[in-house]
Amino acid sequence: MVMTIKARPSLLLLILAAVFLAAPSYAKPKLGNIQFERKSTSRERAGIGPATFPHDSHEATLECKECHPKIFKAKRGANDITMKKNMEGKYCGSPGCHNTNAFPLYECAKCHTKVRGIK
Amino acid sequence: MKRLSRYSLLFVLALCIGLGTSYIIETKADAKQKKSKSSKTALPILDPNDPNSIIYGGTDGQIKGKGDPDKPASESVRIGMGWHPQALSDQRLPKDRYGLIDWAELVRKKMILPKHSLDPNEEEMPPLDMNVVIEAKSDFVNDVVYPHWIHTYWLKCEVCHPKIFVPQKGGNPKMSMAGITQGEWCGRCHGKVAFPLTDCMRCHVKPKSAKK
Repeated sequence: MVMTIKARPSLLLLILAAVFLAAPSYAKPKLGNIQFERKSTSRERAGIGPATFPHDSHEATLECKECHPKIFKAKRGANDITMKKNMEGKYCGSPGCHNTNAFPLYECAKCHTKVRGIK
Repeated sequence: MKRLSRYSLLFVLALCIGLGTSYIIETKADAKQKKSKSSKTALPILDPNDPNSIIYGGTDGQIKGKGDPDKPASESVRIGMGWHPQALSDQRLPKDRYGLIDWAELVRKKMILPKHSLDPNEEEMPPLDMNVVIEAKSDFVNDVVYPHWIHTYWLKCEVCHPKIFVPQKGGNPKMSMAGITQGEWCGRCHGKVAFPLTDCMRCHVKPKSAKK
């Protein structure tokens, strides 16, 4: 009996340690950059290249559940993002995100490449 | 010993009663103060047509004088010449969605009536009521409806024409949001003295007809 009582706390500690070690790698998938290549005809007319979304830098300050699945469906190609929707306060322009707390939506070149008129 | 303990008990009782009554008096006084404060906070709204409209001289919200145009400027008027953002924010002025004072709404609601010129002999030019639709280059973003009215309410034609904008349909083909964010076109004023560019939907108001 004495042996089992003594063994239990150490086992618990081991499990806890394993969970703590595993937690960071579980919380951060490190998806890198995601490029939005859609709506090319409209973008070409407006003289704007595709937007690049840096998933890594967002992971650094945000929890997954802050964006997924309420603002963005966590699936490639499942979100029909347009600048109009961003401007109306959806997707990137959601309350507390870009245009309020993060940099404003009019800083085109911070996300889009090849913006005409900006070096 | 018994007497001493009795006296001490009586003393404690008396203390309790004294403290209790003083507390009750204090709370009553507080309630009275609160009542008088709440009656003070219900202040009338500024009316530009009323010469007796109250002027608030300080940032504390206290009434400092009355705006009688026939009398010499009071101390409150002199104090009021300064910039009091806090007093301004307390005046129930209309705000935009970023909490900034909506000066256009102020004009539309006729809350202010600025004189058009310091020279009384100068003729006033009425604002030009003409909207210009500026097409957004993207297929999705709303088109811009530019109101001449509110701009000519504040400014003369020469402020913008022809240096910043060529007064001609299609006369400004190089205009773009990229340029505006770098301080050209609308960005000459918006984001500096006029409302900031973050408020996209304030200009981009006309939805695109169903396109791809």
